[in-house]
Amino acid sequence: MPGIDFSEFRSGFVAEAQDLLHAAHPQAVALDRALRAGRDDPRAIRELFRTLHTIKGLASMVDVEPIVVISHSLETVLRQADQGLGRLPVEAVDVLVAALRSIEQRVGAIERDEPVPKAPDDLLDAIAGLVLRESTRSKTEGRLDLDDETRARLTPSERELLATAPADGRRAVAVDFVPSADRSAQGIDINSVRERVGRIAEIVRVLPVARPTTPEVPGGLLFRLLILSDAADAAIAEAAHAEGVRTVSASAPRPSAPVLDEPDDEHEPHVGGLVRVEVEKLDAMMDTLSSLVVLRFRLEREVERMRRAGGEVRELEAILRDQRKQLRDLRSHIIRVRTVPVTDVLDRLPLLVRGAARAAGKRVRLEVDAGRAEVDKAVADRLLPAVVHLVRNAVDHAVESPEEREAQGKPSEGLVRITCFERSNHWLELEVSDDGRGIDPEAVARRAGEPVPTDDAELLELVTRPGLSTLQDATTTSGRGLGMDIVRRIAVKQLGGELRMRTTRGRGTTFTLSVPLSLAILDVFAFTCAEQTFVVPVSMVSEIIEVDPDGVVAAPGAGIGRRLVQRRGAAVPLVSLAELFELGGDEIPQKALVIQHEGRPWGFGVDRLLGQHEVVVRTLDHPLVRVEGVSGAADLGDGRPTLVLDLVSLGRSLVTEAQG
Amino acid sequence: MTALHVVYRVGDAEYVIPAAEVVQMETWSGATPVPGSAPWVLGVAQMRGALVPVVDLRARFGLPPADEALDHRVVVVRRHDGLVGLKVDRAREVLAVDEDAFEEPPALVQRAGADAGRVGGGWVRAVVRVGERVLMDVDFDRVVEGGGFDE
Repeated sequence: MPGIDFSEFRSGFVAEAQDLLHAAHPQAVALDRALRAGRDDPRAIRELFRTLHTIKGLASMVDVEPIVVISHSLETVLRQADQGLGRLPVEAVDVLVAALRSIEQRVGAIERDEPVPKAPDDLLDAIAGLVLRESTRSKTEGRLDLDDETRARLTPSERELLATAPADGRRAVAVDFVPSADRSAQGIDINSVRERVGRIAEIVRVLPVARPTTPEVPGGLLFRLLILSDAADAAIAEAAHAEGVRTVSASAPRPSAPVLDEPDDEHEPHVGGLVRVEVEKLDAMMDTLSSLVVLRFRLEREVERMRRAGGEVRELEAILRDQRKQLRDLRSHIIRVRTVPVTDVLDRLPLLVRGAARAAGKRVRLEVDAGRAEVDKAVADRLLPAVVHLVRNAVDHAVESPEEREAQGKPSEGLVRITCFERSNHWLELEVSDDGRGIDPEAVARRAGEPVPTDDAELLELVTRPGLSTLQDATTTSGRGLGMDIVRRIAVKQLGGELRMRTTRGRGTTFTLSVPLSLAILDVFAFTCAEQTFVVPVSMVSEIIEVDPDGVVAAPGAGIGRRLVQRRGAAVPLVSLAELFELGGDEIPQKALVIQHEGRPWGFGVDRLLGQHEVVVRTLDHPLVRVEGVSGAADLGDGRPTLVLDLVSLGRSLVTEAQG
Repeated sequence: MTALHVVYRVGDAEYVIPAAEVVQMETWSGATPVPGSAPWVLGVAQMRGALVPVVDLRARFGLPPADEALDHRVVVVRRHDGLVGLKVDRAREVLAVDEDAFEEPPALVQRAGADAGRVGGGWVRAVVRVGERVLMDVDFDRVVEGGGFDE
């Protein structure tokens, strides 16, 4: 349409469309599974239909014709399937996924302000070629014991699903949930019931049903859940807080009751709702918080100066304490806003596994168990490529072919599991495990030209060597091939975490990524070293010691690791940071920060300690300033970036240098 | 067609960079040195809310250091890998330059640059004449690459 500027709608369109496309993926996977098993999945079809319908509407609002065309043609096919005019052929999912990707690419083009390619003809032809198969529903109609109103409100696919339940070894059951004010007060509502019932049954449909208001139905409304289950009646009834259940089977029809108009949107209205936020806005909030923290330092310093000058500052100090608490609270709110559920981060993986397994000629199932674990968006963004790498490696190299597996007595379908849980307030553990062939230490040692590793830690060291990752050969390395050095780099350097591995020949391998939950705000110790100020995370320092020059022993030679200092009866290496950074002379430092590296202490010598602070850390992303041992920069109140040191990493690199 | 270019000076020579790539021009107020980075990287500075690495172009171009002068500027440019600050001796002028007026640099200049041993290692991409002046367009991908000890 001429004369209307759509550019301000574009970012909104892009955000909405990307969300919708994201949500469509699990539906496509579910549909795939059902179609392969010879079943229908009316819910997935309906969701996909709605998604494409919405995308079509949005696209026409911003006048992007190619997306309108693709989504319209797909929507047509899905609508037919939804109305029970036939069952989708198994290949339908591949076409569906291709169409989704095609829309995704065009949404990406809009985001980058590039011209949008027109809809590809071969894709449209493929969609048009999806001929629905005759479904067998007509034979099963009569075998359902449903009252007319319920029967009328179900789609033919849903009716078929309920009718064919016995073939799967399950029963089709109807159970009614009656909401009430009392129940609401106890947190019992249709959503909680859905969740409870959903754990022991598959919900085909939930229908709101109007009833005259009576003490038994105080709200004049009840919810009828039509489910497929092999659980006991009592368990189902309990989950729905109902008196009993009805098995839906062939018999005479029941008398009808007045029918509610089916709402267009099945969602019950929820209080609260969601807001979508662009990450830049969150970063801006963090920056402002950082400035507030800086201001507080300055205030504290001024108040301290007034106090020393004899001023009356008690009230001011009380106010400052309150402010400190509020800033802490604000900080946790902001951090929580920045977190995303780990399940969201991982939700594309099943589709990835499907494609990779197909390409490799293997059968692999992916299980994701992340519960409610949440992680900062910045961490999530970096974590995902590492997880994708591990999963791909598992599918490509670790899991054996179905024949090989059967020969070993394993199920022909391989299993890759991802579990994720919060180890503590600050740490997240994510495990990627497979039941494949495990890693052969001898083969890896041969490839690397090194002695055979004696334990998993040494094996991991070899496997993550950059040189090794360019040699890939599934059969001889019997395990990981490409890119393991990248995974370690992400976990350790970018995220400041750890990568561990356990492997058993013939049984499988487990990789564990331990990463901090949030990168953004740290408690740090500030110190000076040759007149320059640095900070180090408090969590990294196990002890701060005064260095007694008489207790320092220097080995002959001039190497950086020559000094040892006495600490609790042990000799701890003492490295002067000033010397390491070539900032100063070789005097014995006055104080040392002790860190633990692989279970052993290391001391890093500094000049003066400046106290503990809470700072917002920003990463130094540019390659020009990405160096070993510096994990980012913070602002201590003087407007200049103060480097955040990663002493553990420094210690590690010193050890490697010494050994190399 | 013409495009605006910022003219900056390093030592005795003058250079141009398309104004579209320049995000801001700051006076030089120091940077936090990053141990382990290349000697011609002055460090990181806080600019526009972002952490910007600052490159000392005098040092990078092989010139001896100059006394600090008020004229010194940091030209902050947006590159594909983020913002980078370029410390120059002077940056005060903006010129409209005809794109077609850019010429290939003479052969000797083409090979100039620290990586001159490599094929196509020159840092100067093009030159343009404006009146009596000869202004050079530098290939910053070459100048800026090869920084710290990132493995």
